[in-house]
Amino acid sequence: MNPAGIPLKEPSVSVAAGDTEQFERALIDASTRVPVLIFYTSAVAWLILGTLLAGFVSFKLHTPDLLSDVSFLTWGRVRPAHMNVMVYGWASMAGMGTAIWLMARLCRTVLRYPLLLVAGAGFWNLGVLLGVGGILLGDSTGYQWLEFPSYAAIILFAAYTLVASWAVLMFRFRRGEQIYITQWYLLGAFLWFPWLYAAGQLMLFVVPVQGVLQAAVGWWYANNLLFLWFGAIGLGTAYYMIPKVIGRPVYSYHLATIGFWSYALFSSWTGMQRLVDGPFPAWMVTASIAATILTLIPVATVGLNHHMTMQGYFPLMRYSPTLRFTVFGAMSYTVFSLLGVLISLRSVARYVNFTQASVAYSHLGLYAFFTMVIFGSMYYIVPRLIGREWRYASLIKLHFWASAYGIGLMTLMLLAGGFMQGASMETPSLAFSESVESVLPYLRGRSLAGILLTASHFIFAYHFGLMLLGLGRKSTVPTFLNPVEAEGAEAH
Amino acid sequence: MKGLTPLFLGIFGTFAFSWMGLTVIPNWQIGHLNPQSDEEGTDIYPMPQSGMVTRGARIYAANGCVYCHSEQVRADYAGADIERKWGDRRSAPRDYIFERPVFLGKMRMGQDLANIGARAPKEEESPAPAGGGASPAPQGAAVSSPSPSAASSPATAPAASPGSVVSKPPATAASPASSSSPAPKGPAVAGPSTGIASPSPGAPPAAAASPGAPPVAGPPWPEQTAGLPPLYSAAWHHVHLYSPRSINLDSNMPSYRFLYRTRRINDAPSSDALQLTGSDAPPEGWEIVPTYDAKCLVAYMMALNQSHPLKDVRSAGGTAAASSAASPSPASGGKPAK
Repeated sequence: MNPAGIPLKEPSVSVAAGDTEQFERALIDASTRVPVLIFYTSAVAWLILGTLLAGFVSFKLHTPDLLSDVSFLTWGRVRPAHMNVMVYGWASMAGMGTAIWLMARLCRTVLRYPLLLVAGAGFWNLGVLLGVGGILLGDSTGYQWLEFPSYAAIILFAAYTLVASWAVLMFRFRRGEQIYITQWYLLGAFLWFPWLYAAGQLMLFVVPVQGVLQAAVGWWYANNLLFLWFGAIGLGTAYYMIPKVIGRPVYSYHLATIGFWSYALFSSWTGMQRLVDGPFPAWMVTASIAATILTLIPVATVGLNHHMTMQGYFPLMRYSPTLRFTVFGAMSYTVFSLLGVLISLRSVARYVNFTQASVAYSHLGLYAFFTMVIFGSMYYIVPRLIGREWRYASLIKLHFWASAYGIGLMTLMLLAGGFMQGASMETPSLAFSESVESVLPYLRGRSLAGILLTASHFIFAYHFGLMLLGLGRKSTVPTFLNPVEAEGAEAH
Repeated sequence: MKGLTPLFLGIFGTFAFSWMGLTVIPNWQIGHLNPQSDEEGTDIYPMPQSGMVTRGARIYAANGCVYCHSEQVRADYAGADIERKWGDRRSAPRDYIFERPVFLGKMRMGQDLANIGARAPKEEESPAPAGGGASPAPQGAAVSSPSPSAASSPATAPAASPGSVVSKPPATAASPASSSSPAPKGPAVAGPSTGIASPSPGAPPAAAASPGAPPVAGPPWPEQTAGLPPLYSAAWHHVHLYSPRSINLDSNMPSYRFLYRTRRINDAPSSDALQLTGSDAPPEGWEIVPTYDAKCLVAYMMALNQSHPLKDVRSAGGTAAASSAASPSPASGGKPAK
């Protein structure tokens, strides 16, 4: 431990095994190296592609004639392409990469059957590629987050089966009786996703339900994907990274249990609030609004648990990139959930339904919370896979601030714009076009935020590329964001 | 937590609960609706759609129209949709039983389209809703041109496929003045000859001034532009898809030119050709025609029509007093009540 209290990185494998536990960990890390790096590298490539598409989508929304004469570049195709690249290409692959590493670590066993994972990653990439290609060529199904045509969906599902069966196998080989909090979330995510995906595909495409129920199934899928897949991986990761980096156990195991089960129970019932006032039985919407309000229980317990764990250690965010990203993400989870409750209330939904505010909500969940947590975990994990430290603290700082300001600005713009848009839309004396006009300045602001995010992602990808090429620093000390004072580690 | 069993059971249990509650049970409740009909078994609504309309829905999905346009009308207490004349009653599950996929939509960067077909001028109506004598009335309320008589007017003719009906703007102009006379569109239909492409600003006053104006003196929409086909007619949709900003300068809808072909005129101009003016117009000797996909897309939009009363939904016409959009014919209010 250095003066700042940050546990130093474990020595690499070559170090004589004075401490068996450290040696064991290094072995486990080494065994995860190839599959996790494949997942991460693919994810970062998708992130860059998704970012470029996002910028394009954002600019086209207020500059509609931009390249609109080419069928595969029309706004209505690039937008779902962007969303699916981000959801299935970036977020899912990066999330699985982190989840795999965490599973191996927490099961305390070297990674077995790496070929399952390598094949899984390969098929997953193929599925996303075909799916995005299909969308751009006009094969989209038209359901949010399920736009992939069936030929891509089936490959994606096959790929997923490989990864999930690996996860279950790993569980069989785990050592120790205790199952850590993170594992609950990861196991949940790994088991929920296939059910969710299969149910969505079956009920929409194979034996489609009638009429409006398709929309209900669509939103049930999208919301549960956000909560039970991304949310669960994100929270699980935060539960590992925060205690790990500050070197202190989780504040309360009991709170964590309540948080997990209430999360599983309530967040899975949300989704229908997005259909408020639509052609549905009122009880469906009301049930989801109630469930959304009840998600305040997991939010409060998880937030309190993280906060109490961090208590007194917040200054460490000045040094550790992982901690800074993870805590930002964990806090965003609270904000995301509170916003979710706010916009689900009928009186508010009346104004924000059908506006950009719901885009703000998705971005808060998928980016400010999930993506930031995953960035944090990548800053922690990648050096342990490669045996080098991140090369430039300055790039990490730039990445963090560009991401944080970018997503902050984007959320504010979309929220404010959404409320303006909704207010005009609900004033029938104003022409409808006024409501569109009123949101356009905010969409331009959103494009500006998009530029910040684009910069941050390119910085990250460049830095990640350096690491892959083995150009990281050779050091036994992790890269801190700021020099650690006193006779600390930075001397090396 | 010790032991895998409770963890597994819990993970499955919570999710099964949600799956049952939010998808399976609703499917029992509203997943097997049938079309409604009157006592004699006629006047069936809704009806399955034709092949062109179904294909049009796929074009609609492929090009992401749903990301900007919803297809649902909220009840009058829940939003301003009915006041905006996007429909004269709220949408109900039964309206969608033949839709696949369903495009309820989550965003309104563009107008709601649930009744876009019902808002078309009568003589160009697609054959679908021909079933009911009841339908014209509410539609009359929805569209600004309130001439129920036009419904039965000639051009309904051999409307086999909406795509073909669309085509003849000249026919529209020529077709009985009944359509043009009462409506604000008088000048518009005369337009092609005058060829002014002046964007909307000029139009609303004209609309307000026109004699047969809608029952309510009104809000600034719908906007109509001189020199264009009648608002929301199929021909209008084609021009709008091809060049949205020729109709509304402020529109931020992308153009869908890739759904249209520019070709040389052979003998006579095609009846499908778009009536474009100004910088959008093709060079002399050329014409711009919709592809089959574009025709299907427009056929799909023309078939979007929830104006038929539903027994389980109160029409705005029924709440006469409250609604400024009170239907011109009380009959439409009476019908659903029974």
